[in-house]
Amino acid sequence: MPPAWQNSPLTSRREFLARAGGGCGALALAALLASESRGATSGAARRPHFNPRAKRIIWLFMDGGPSHLDLFDLKPALTKYAGQPLPPSFKRPVTSMGVTAGTPLLASTRKFQQHGQAGIWVSDLYPHVARCVDDLCMVRNCAAEGLTHVAGLMQINTGALIPGRPSLGAWTLYGLGSESADLPGFVVLADDQVDPPGGSGNWGTGFMPASFQGTRIGQGPHSILNINPASGISARRQRGELDYLQQLNKAYADVRPDHDLLAARIAAYELAFRMQAAAPEAVDLAAETAATQALYGLDQEATAKNGRNCLLARRLVERGVRFVQVYMGVGQGWDSHSNLDENHGKRCLESDRPIAGLITDLKQRGLLDDTLVIWGGEFGRTPMSESGNGRDHNATGFTMFFAGGGTKRGHVTGETDELGLYAQNPASLADIHATILHLAGLDHERLTFFHNGRDERLTGAGGRVLADVLA
Amino acid sequence: MTRPLLVLLIVVLARPCVAPAEEPRFHDGDWPFVPVRRPDLPAVPPNTTSSGPIDQFILAELAQHDLSPNQPAELATQLRRVTLDLTGLPPTPDEIEALLADQSPDAYERAVDRLLASPRFGERWARHWLDVVRYADTAGYKIDWLRKEAYRYRDYVVRAMNSGLPYDQFIREQLAGDELPTPSGEAIVATGLLRMYPQESTAADFLKQRQDVLDDLTEVTGLAFMGLTLGCARCHDHKFDPIQQADFFRLQACFAGIVPRDDIPAASSADFAAHQRQQAAWEAATAEVRAKLDALTASTRNGAIDEITLAYDPATRAAWRTPAEQRTIEQRQLMALSFRYVNNIIERRIARLEGTAKTEYDLLQTELAEFDHLKPAPLPLAMSVGNGPGAPAATRILETGDYRHPAEIVQPGFPAFLGGSALAVGKADSPVGRRTALADWLTRPDHPLTARVIVNRLWQHHFGRGILPTANDFGLMGETATHPELLDWLAAELPARRWDLKTLHRQMVTSEVYRQSSRVDPSNPAHVRALQIDSGNQWLWHRRRVRLEGEIVRDSLLSLSGRLNLAMFGPASYPALPAALVENTSIAWQPDPQLAGRYRRTVYCIQKRNLRQPLLAAFDQPDMYASCGVRTITLTPVQALALLNGEEAAEEARHWAGRLLADCGGDAPRLVQQAWLAAYGRVPTAAELTDSVAFLQNQAALIQAESAIPSRSLPEPLPASISPAQGAACVDWCHALMNSSEFLFVD
Repeated sequence: MPPAWQNSPLTSRREFLARAGGGCGALALAALLASESRGATSGAARRPHFNPRAKRIIWLFMDGGPSHLDLFDLKPALTKYAGQPLPPSFKRPVTSMGVTAGTPLLASTRKFQQHGQAGIWVSDLYPHVARCVDDLCMVRNCAAEGLTHVAGLMQINTGALIPGRPSLGAWTLYGLGSESADLPGFVVLADDQVDPPGGSGNWGTGFMPASFQGTRIGQGPHSILNINPASGISARRQRGELDYLQQLNKAYADVRPDHDLLAARIAAYELAFRMQAAAPEAVDLAAETAATQALYGLDQEATAKNGRNCLLARRLVERGVRFVQVYMGVGQGWDSHSNLDENHGKRCLESDRPIAGLITDLKQRGLLDDTLVIWGGEFGRTPMSESGNGRDHNATGFTMFFAGGGTKRGHVTGETDELGLYAQNPASLADIHATILHLAGLDHERLTFFHNGRDERLTGAGGRVLADVLA
Repeated sequence: MTRPLLVLLIVVLARPCVAPAEEPRFHDGDWPFVPVRRPDLPAVPPNTTSSGPIDQFILAELAQHDLSPNQPAELATQLRRVTLDLTGLPPTPDEIEALLADQSPDAYERAVDRLLASPRFGERWARHWLDVVRYADTAGYKIDWLRKEAYRYRDYVVRAMNSGLPYDQFIREQLAGDELPTPSGEAIVATGLLRMYPQESTAADFLKQRQDVLDDLTEVTGLAFMGLTLGCARCHDHKFDPIQQADFFRLQACFAGIVPRDDIPAASSADFAAHQRQQAAWEAATAEVRAKLDALTASTRNGAIDEITLAYDPATRAAWRTPAEQRTIEQRQLMALSFRYVNNIIERRIARLEGTAKTEYDLLQTELAEFDHLKPAPLPLAMSVGNGPGAPAATRILETGDYRHPAEIVQPGFPAFLGGSALAVGKADSPVGRRTALADWLTRPDHPLTARVIVNRLWQHHFGRGILPTANDFGLMGETATHPELLDWLAAELPARRWDLKTLHRQMVTSEVYRQSSRVDPSNPAHVRALQIDSGNQWLWHRRRVRLEGEIVRDSLLSLSGRLNLAMFGPASYPALPAALVENTSIAWQPDPQLAGRYRRTVYCIQKRNLRQPLLAAFDQPDMYASCGVRTITLTPVQALALLNGEEAAEEARHWAGRLLADCGGDAPRLVQQAWLAAYGRVPTAAELTDSVAFLQNQAALIQAESAIPSRSLPEPLPASISPAQGAACVDWCHALMNSSEFLFVD
């Protein structure tokens, strides 16, 4: 049974059907009502399935596919066999650029060191993150199926390789609701104007009500466009207009109860109105001390963009936003088919301090215990070379890490083969999703949404909670 | 970013390449991969009066599911629906009143004819096609430079829609307009379709870019004309549809011989000839001075070329070092891709000449300028393609789609499963005729997909959802058609009626299923039962309510305020951007210096791949990198803020209020009546009238009590007889209507 989510404040088809009950069989009506209750459009907080370890989630998304082989997954054999083809004992991989068993193996040029009490290997690309390893849980056996960026992004965000399904953020919001009445429950940030491949489908709601969708907000002092009325009118005057507008919209929606977007529009306008007061305060980073700003790297050009977004993410979750996704290198910035060292050098410089700053800051504020931080891209990269000094996409084995939110600290789970090509006993994306939902207090098998005659879930027919990740 | 065009490909490729492996396969001979056979009209259920074939199919299907159609919508609702659908603008109060006063039985049909003949029709329907061909005015990616002549293709599409250009001719001109026996300027411009690929000028892997462009053209041809996701077959035989990898490359061979042309005038051949004569005269007169200039700059130029192309692949480097007239087709393609970047550097270096070279250079330029009076006035130039000289490079199947792993050579041809196997097109040693053969094949009356796909696109936009909902994917990974026989019947009609799309539009919008009510009535037991049977309304037992696209939202705002500039065609116009955006980004544009230029229909506004107008982006404008067959509909607080706080609605509300006050003065009931007709296409109810008047009074009192009224919230103009508070209340009221669901949705 789904949790009790019947607290929709909106006129819904449910009400309509209840009123229209005379015309249809009681059983059929009951079935329809049951399905409606699961599709309630309310954004208010709901009961989880069990006690959540992670009350909020910040997902740091390295767009384009960061190389696990040059960051976290040290492979001495790769150095040993560099320049040689992939041994015949390896299954021939399918990769997007057609880099196959024929391309020589490429050694990592990075220096790896063990860090922290846990002695976790991290390369010299991530010196600040390396200092946080005792708070991290590395998952080195991640495996996905998308060969291309958009397919990879879709699958890691929505569970399916093709666009059109709800994202993890939407599922989380559907399961837990938002704790903020004044801000969107699911916010998306990025370090550039462009969209990641697949665009808003990566934070979309698919067949779920539109209110669970991620809201993308920009950078800088006017990070939320149109947050104040262009006409310069007072909030009181605008409230007067809005009351009348909502009266119009309600009258229109009331007699069109079959169309849930109309009810959702009323809610969206109320949220927009409240955001006007709440958002400028939330995004005002000037309220932070110079020391905090420096911790996130706001004081340096290379790290300022990601630093602002990480700091913003913390401020948003503090104010009840449930799910924040932060794209770093948005627009396939990590895609390093050639000149990997140069590419990752830049991307890591831009992201290292902000990420470490976020983890450190959350920890010192006591937020890390119930805030889950996720790091990863849509896939990793091949041990085989491309263009002599780059690597192709590798979805068959890569690394993600978690911090806080009920995950083990200073821990490594899973591994890839000796060259880093295939994950051993892979953690599928469905497993990753099931684990994240579990940490959020949601059972991925019970978190269902009725659509087209089926109880849909994020993890499809699969998914198992990765027990070794849980603290 | 190292992989510019790949993004586009990937977007297109991803969908079917990656589906779960246990799905069943398509078989040869499965619908819709067989030629259309006109089905018999179904028997209509008793007790129905049906006027046309479309309704017969719909009613028969409804009866199968024990459903019946809804009541016809109110006539005013029908007019608003069909006017927004056909022209993208709301009906004017005069048009509504005229229709409601018209007692003749064919009043609606005559309104449809008027709308189909309106120039607004082409502007509206061009936009749908521009989505499919990923039209943009800029090249995309980091540099995103302006393609100055791209707009001519947009204008061509508007004209084609308006003039009722037969669809087969529309296809032929876009794919092979340059190969027509005597191509018109329009036909040359039409080939701009083959220039719409996004491009990055600073990426250095031109062999790969060349392949990306060819892949892109193959893909878009598949998506736009055949509703096929051919992209999968780039790397391997399609997993689910009967598309072989060889099919992809055989189709691609049709495009192997094209070179981008930016020097062909979009003008009549007589004008062109006159221009050529004058140009030759100028060239003869200036030959000497130009030769001197060339000699003077040769070392700078060659030095730059030598230096820059060192980092390029050998083929591109060789292309730069080959005299222009001797370059092969492939070399010309590589030049076109690499030209912009290299040439910019050459020009910069020439501009930095020093000493005597500089003096001499300036002197020669002055000398050259003395011949300017001989120079012909520049002709409008098309962004087009043409066939290159000699033989195109052989097209090979690429192992896993990788340009570095060429396998066997294929000849131009068409997918075997669509009956194209036996056709040998063109010649191996010449590119000429390949694209014409492709257009011929696509427009054969028995082509299984061409007619079905365009009929479905029309249906989708008229009814809110295609008969086959995935308009760009007729393959197995697409959704299933709800009314395949109806689709076939209409697809059989199209070539039989000389591919006339306007006839098809008319058939659809005058059908009873189009004209039925969208309302689902809670007190109607039949509706409650229908909801149980078909809550998704796939059998069309009521009209599907649609939300306006962003472009239509903006055009409608301007239409209400009376500021919409209906000037047609021409270079992209630049509307104002929100100040906050201009502050924050280096890629913002400057608005048109002429105010009127900012208020043109959105189809004529700049389509910049890297920066969408925020209002349009909030209302789901596609990204212009990939073909978009079906737009998504989203709802976010950002969207609400865009309309509630954005400058567009705020400004147009001021002008609308000014206009209403000028017409009606202080006569509030009349003002409400007029506004209601303009925004919603209907007369207000008594309660709506009372509520409106009450709001105008209460809001005026509220505003009066405030210390100041911001000048940007007053009507434009504010009549002398109206107090500022009253005027401001009227602005707020107009603004509320512009934000209301009834304005944004079409019943």
